[in-house]
Amino acid sequence: MASPKTVPKDAQVMMQILKDMGITEYDPRVINQMLEFTYRYVTTIIEDAKIYSTHAKKSNVDADDIRLAIQCRVDQSFTSPPPRDFLLDIARQKNQTPLPLIKPYTGPRLPPDRYCLTAPNYRLKFLQKKVSSSVGRITVPRLSVGAVSSRPSTPTLGTPSVQTVGTKVGTPVSLTGQRFTVQIPSSQTLTVRSKAPTPTTPTVQNVLINPSLMGSKNILITTNMVSQNSSSDSTSLKRKHEDEDDYDAL
Amino acid sequence: MAAVQDGPMELDAEKEAKPEILSDGTSNLSGNTASGTLSSSPLTAAPAGGAPKMEDQQTLIAVLQFLKRNKLSESVEILRREAGLGEHQEGSQATDGSGGGKGDGDGGDANSLLSRVSITSAAAPQSMPVKSDCIINIFRCDLPFMFMLSEDQPDVSVVLSAYSQQGDPPLYQVYYSGLKNFIESVLDCHRAELSQLFYPLFVHMYLELVYNNHETEAKAFFDKFSGDQECYYQDDLHILCGLTKKEHLKGNEVLLDFRTSRFVLHISRDSYQLLKRHLQERHNNQIWNIIQEHLYIDIFDGMPRSKSQIDSMSGSLAGEAKREVNKAKVFYGLLKEPEIEVPLDDEDDEAENEEGKPKKKKTKKDSLGSKSKKQDPNAPQQNRIPLPELKDSDKLDKIMYMKESTKRIRLGPENLPSICFYTFLNAFQGLTAVDFTDDSSLLAGGFADSTVRVWSVTPKKLRKVKSAGELNVIEKESDDVLERIMDEKTASESKILHGHSGPVYGVSFSPDRNYLLSSSEDGTVRLWSLQTFTCLVGYKGHNYPVWDTHFSPFGYYFVSGGHDRVARLWATDHYQPLRIFAGHLADVTCTRFHPNSNYVATGSTDRTVRLWDVLNANCVRILTGHKGPIHSLAFSPNGKFLASGSTDGRVLLWDIGHGLMIGELKGHTDTIYALKFSRDGEILASGSMDNTVRLWDSMKAFDEVETDDFTATTGHIHLPDNSQELLLGMYHSKSTPVTHLHFTRRNLLLAAGAYNSQ
Repeated sequence: MASPKTVPKDAQVMMQILKDMGITEYDPRVINQMLEFTYRYVTTIIEDAKIYSTHAKKSNVDADDIRLAIQCRVDQSFTSPPPRDFLLDIARQKNQTPLPLIKPYTGPRLPPDRYCLTAPNYRLKFLQKKVSSSVGRITVPRLSVGAVSSRPSTPTLGTPSVQTVGTKVGTPVSLTGQRFTVQIPSSQTLTVRSKAPTPTTPTVQNVLINPSLMGSKNILITTNMVSQNSSSDSTSLKRKHEDEDDYDAL
Repeated sequence: MAAVQDGPMELDAEKEAKPEILSDGTSNLSGNTASGTLSSSPLTAAPAGGAPKMEDQQTLIAVLQFLKRNKLSESVEILRREAGLGEHQEGSQATDGSGGGKGDGDGGDANSLLSRVSITSAAAPQSMPVKSDCIINIFRCDLPFMFMLSEDQPDVSVVLSAYSQQGDPPLYQVYYSGLKNFIESVLDCHRAELSQLFYPLFVHMYLELVYNNHETEAKAFFDKFSGDQECYYQDDLHILCGLTKKEHLKGNEVLLDFRTSRFVLHISRDSYQLLKRHLQERHNNQIWNIIQEHLYIDIFDGMPRSKSQIDSMSGSLAGEAKREVNKAKVFYGLLKEPEIEVPLDDEDDEAENEEGKPKKKKTKKDSLGSKSKKQDPNAPQQNRIPLPELKDSDKLDKIMYMKESTKRIRLGPENLPSICFYTFLNAFQGLTAVDFTDDSSLLAGGFADSTVRVWSVTPKKLRKVKSAGELNVIEKESDDVLERIMDEKTASESKILHGHSGPVYGVSFSPDRNYLLSSSEDGTVRLWSLQTFTCLVGYKGHNYPVWDTHFSPFGYYFVSGGHDRVARLWATDHYQPLRIFAGHLADVTCTRFHPNSNYVATGSTDRTVRLWDVLNANCVRILTGHKGPIHSLAFSPNGKFLASGSTDGRVLLWDIGHGLMIGELKGHTDTIYALKFSRDGEILASGSMDNTVRLWDSMKAFDEVETDDFTATTGHIHLPDNSQELLLGMYHSKSTPVTHLHFTRRNLLLAAGAYNSQ
């Protein structure tokens, strides 16, 4: 222990408090941590009390303000477990129901899926360059990611433009039962963003797997840049997934 | 709240009415200085004449209003009927008394109300007339309502249990010294018993002074008398001396429970008569009032206990356990093992037959189950609680188990087990929980950095199931499909499981090795799959750190205990707990299932061990005697005995059937975190923070118990001090505290701990 001369008064007080509470062995850094906590707590309380006193249009902070500040903080940060009579009461209610029978021959016995952590919590997203072979498809509009998020009632519109995806992606894709929203490109901006039909490198299209729409099947919602009429004037290789990021609300 | 004889009764403020009633009642009790009759007599109001009569009327009206307000129409009718018959002070006094007792904890046990009233009536020579029974009936039938009310109106219950002023604050020291002098002057045989009073009286008087804002008197009182208390209450006194204001009491749940629950003392009838006579002779028997209100004196007929006997049983936060609490029948026997046909496998069997093992020649039946065809009277019914049925994989496990158990080494005082110590290096004091699977193939560690790591103890690596894509392409009809689904590429010796957001304080493997449970400071218990090494479920219920969790020996159920002072029973397929075991006064630090899965033992910081019935969550045993928080529990394999270890370095052995302490193993110098019985129960191994593993002869400890009628009824046993004889071996590790112990199926002892370099 440092000699009393060099230890500041606050630290001495803290050491004395620890001694009074019966704590004799501790790391020296505990004093610093305790002091920091004390300082932060007291400052928070006094600041709160200042706010209350100004709200009450008092000129000075007085004991009532401090008391109020402490009370409010206690409910927030230093919660204590429920009182005993409350626990006994809820225990009585819960313990009255008999133990449920166990269904035989079920698989892993887990709660319903919404209470488990077994759902995938990710989406896959990758960009795929549209191949010019699909130039024949005139009417396939592009799909926007943003609309996907309004999933419950998405109209299905389906020309199998996704076929192109299937060949490019290479991952097993189940094309049945998909749902995707389609946004007919109406504005210029959309057309601008369509790709040039350079078939050299089939970059990956935007593929979106939205797991919440289905059970286990992969849904590919592709943003398919098809409109061929605008292919010529597009900024050719502008990657469009930045726009999809804008609609990334889910 | 000054106790005034004709205190004002504001009937409009219901809440105030209640404390007024209390103070009124006590003023009646204490106001009797003139007559020499017993002050607790309910008839003291009578001599005062008209004024108390009016008061009692007002009291009755106040109670009526209170009941009406809370819609207890039945009680209102009964009370109106009874009270309408006349102004019987007994009735009102009983109301006060029962009203005062209302706030007491422990589930509003009508028995405690009755016993309290009966103590009062024992004091009063006139027996309490029928009125008191009626009032008690009122409260008994409406008890559930009363307690739901206390939930909506916390102030009421707090107020009901509040300390009323028992006298002049500066005089408390006088009262206490008076009692001290008296107790020092009695005969030796009574002195030890009556000295039990010191601690609860001291604490209650101190808390009363603090609660009524007499800070200086409280401090003076504390300074004068805290040194006299027993050494094992020092930790509590430390906490108390930091509490000097009423506001400090508010956040401290443990002390609030202490105030509302009744401290139980066992005192022999002779000593009790002495005490009663002395206190009632005095003019100002405040102490008698406090005793009546806050203490429960369990009187037994017989010899007064000696100091050592008392010391061995006392130490808990609520005193000892009432005798009737430990009288419920406990089915401690084991469930019958199912009959499984074991295919003969000659190359595995030993050449010789050990005793008790079935002969090789015929198909082996399960040797454990076939010995007794009839039901063990001490065993629960098979279907008492629903248990999962045995799957084929479970049956295979059982066959393996039986094969292994034939090769088990028989341990004894001459044949000590070998100990294999698994030291966790570089854990930097972060290892907080360890568990082994039953077949000792996997080891799990919970750490302060919120990870759980699983290691394979055998050379076989840990594999997880392949991903969905790869599973599509494997041949499903092949014989070794169960190996093919495992991913060889990511096989490793250990796997890390991330998910918790706080230190992991408890881990437990499921018996079928498919799941791992972990409980953490973040308030959740997580179920991990050991086939995919991912988290499956997070069970949220405790909102405070969960100190321990344990899977049932048959799987499916698990129990968890935490800082919120309850233990919860869960099933893996319910997201909410099935049972809540509430009753402890402080955190539940250790939870264990009984081998027959019908009972759960919990150890707590309030220094008691409680045994709970899974079927209806009743507390069937309260075992007191530890002087520190309990951190480890172990059931013997035959289910009859329980061992518990705590911070005081002692291991206590309990007979569950009778609820008695049958052994005390002294020797460790620091907290005992690990306790395990060997597979046949002959040896108890204990591991502690003092870096040692000690082996004790549990067979001998259990044999030496004689339980005659006296001990069975009163629970007072005289323990021989034979710890030294029972100690079979003590093994030091270099500087590694022992966190966990496990006996393999062949009785090799495995120990685990984290190397502590300081």
